[in-house]
Amino acid sequence: MDLIKIENVTKRFANHVALDDVSLSIPEGSIYGLLGPNGAGKTTLLRIINRIIAPDSGRVLFNGCEMSDDDVYRIGYMPEERGLYKKMKVGEQAVFFARLKGLSCKEATSKLKMWFEKFGIEEWWNKSVGELSKGMAQKVQFIATVLHEPKLLIFDEPFSGFDPINANLLKKEILELRDKGATIIFSTHNMGSVEEVCDHITLIDKSKNILSGNVDAIRRKHGANIFELDFRGTEKELLAALDGCCEVMSVSTSPVGFNKVKIHVADDADLRGVIAKANESVELRSFCEIIPSMNDIFVRAVNGNL
Amino acid sequence: MIMKNKIGIIIGREFNERVRKKSFIITTLLTPVLMIALMMAPVLMTLYSEGEEKVVMVVDESNVVAPSLISTPEVKFESTPLPIDVAMHEHTGCFAILHIDKDILENPNGVRFYTNGSTSIGLEHNVVTQIETILQNEKLKMYDIGNLQDILASVKTDVNMQSYKNSANGGEEAETSSSVVATVLAYILSFVLYMFLLIYGSMVMQSVIEEKNNRVLEVMVSSVRPFEMMMGKILGVACVAVLQIVIWFSLIGGVAYFVLPHVLPAELLATIELMKQGAPASGGVDMDMLQAMMMLTNVGYVLKVLASLLVFVVGGFLLYAAMFAAVGSAVDTPQDAQQLQTPITLPIIISLLVMLSVINDPTSSLAFWFSMVPFTSPIVMMARVPYDIPAWEIAVSIALLYMTFFAVVWAAAKIYRVGILMHGKKPGFKELWRWIRY
Repeated sequence: MDLIKIENVTKRFANHVALDDVSLSIPEGSIYGLLGPNGAGKTTLLRIINRIIAPDSGRVLFNGCEMSDDDVYRIGYMPEERGLYKKMKVGEQAVFFARLKGLSCKEATSKLKMWFEKFGIEEWWNKSVGELSKGMAQKVQFIATVLHEPKLLIFDEPFSGFDPINANLLKKEILELRDKGATIIFSTHNMGSVEEVCDHITLIDKSKNILSGNVDAIRRKHGANIFELDFRGTEKELLAALDGCCEVMSVSTSPVGFNKVKIHVADDADLRGVIAKANESVELRSFCEIIPSMNDIFVRAVNGNL
Repeated sequence: MIMKNKIGIIIGREFNERVRKKSFIITTLLTPVLMIALMMAPVLMTLYSEGEEKVVMVVDESNVVAPSLISTPEVKFESTPLPIDVAMHEHTGCFAILHIDKDILENPNGVRFYTNGSTSIGLEHNVVTQIETILQNEKLKMYDIGNLQDILASVKTDVNMQSYKNSANGGEEAETSSSVVATVLAYILSFVLYMFLLIYGSMVMQSVIEEKNNRVLEVMVSSVRPFEMMMGKILGVACVAVLQIVIWFSLIGGVAYFVLPHVLPAELLATIELMKQGAPASGGVDMDMLQAMMMLTNVGYVLKVLASLLVFVVGGFLLYAAMFAAVGSAVDTPQDAQQLQTPITLPIIISLLVMLSVINDPTSSLAFWFSMVPFTSPIVMMARVPYDIPAWEIAVSIALLYMTFFAVVWAAAKIYRVGILMHGKKPGFKELWRWIRY
């Protein structure tokens, strides 16, 4: 079941097209990565899902129905540029945002106390936001975003500005929220985090959806038939054996006799034959495909060589 | 239902943030004190200057004037037998030396006043008036009329005019109207309006710019519609403004109710009560003061003024705040706002200039038209309300103001909606116009 379905959405601004006929579906309970270079239209898409701006054409379905104003209560949004009122007290401010999302004052306060305890920041309650560091303020913002337990969480660049410890904490929380049934969309440039947490991705470039799907499937699909062989023996024998059936990309040797060779196999090549020849010449310890990182795929897709 | 609630939450936040600020509490309490101090200043100054006596040495060659000059607490006249050139060297420590020629009765221009320091117009006026009276009396004496003093005393008459509104013209009872009070009120009220439009209006703008820079708007806008955000902010600030007015008037009213009766002479208050019942004023009381007091104790009149003040402050503020909010949403810094702000502040300044002429002639066509045009009407109409102007004019002016308010809010909301998400470029008027139609 898709929680969000975006159908042929187009959005034009004064002198450029921000989104050009973009369609994608976000399965319920998934963590969905929205990737793309700067200015590709990611934030515009997130704003459309948030109902901050309306698309010129196309539609957005939430849970199978066209979105309405009340759906904002089921969405939590943390924009890339974090914003809090500097002069307001932390606790008061979090209650204010929670009330805008439809929680009662009492409900908001008790839930907030719980979260503050969880993050170990109870003593911040009466501090004004101006006294907090950037990372501290982001924690508060994160809590304000997830407090009303929305079905859909949208994070724009969630890990920017966090130190590794807090970034891990955040990752853990995001995974936990997913396990509790939330669907999470986040836009990011951080490909490492995409491989780690995302189930699905969409790559947007120049206002168009150029790549969509399951992360593992995409990586396998765009594997470039590159394999790495781990072996004991002399590389000369191996190279001689492989000569003609594949292209050797790199060789690394070690003094204790454990060597590595990276090869590129043609699409129609007989992989079994390659393994058999290698096996005959040296003591093969491993043979595995090098699956491209999301980073590689991202760069290749944006440069148009996918 | 839910939408109303959200505006309520935003109004609450805006209101609480401002009212809890120290600066709000201080200005709210200090302004009436300052206003009262300002009104008391002339009285205090007279009291203060009375303590210091100025000595004027008189060299009277005619010997007609000097014996009749009467010293007041402010100025003391001392005759000196010295000739003028000697006196001018001797008496450098006194305030001034008055020199009167021998033939003063024939030639009234023979009066000279040599001051040792700065001069005082009030004192000079006093001296001239005294000399004139003395000379007139001397000249009258020459006609040799018997019991001249008695005749003069019985001829002397003081006229006090009381102005009333023509009660045949719809009024139920004879009301007095004091043009002095109306003028003072007109000044105060239109300045109150001016202050609220400009100060509170730009307060809205500042806070929109601040939120935009803070990027709080991005967070807010995902749960609240831009229109609700804008209205919430404007209404929140309006509540602060109304609260401030209410506090001021209750302070002033409290002072008037509890303190004035103890300060004013009881006789005056009794006369006011009598006059209200239609009795003519008895002599011996300062008429201007009396009329002023009557007008200010006339509950109907005071209520009319206060009600109009509230309606025009709220309407005018909403109108201007919406425009200020739109400008704030379109720019990144207060500096960028300067250019876009000019067309908003211009009508406010024009109304202030028109107000000055309105006070001279509240029924002129200039006054009428500027009190109808919605952008100038709050200030100009408020300057006219203390005078008796037809109720329909006030009604039409209010209707026009509130209609314009809705149109402007609609346009401002459009600009706001686009503006709050725009960063990094400074739009011109053309751009804003596009956003409205967009």
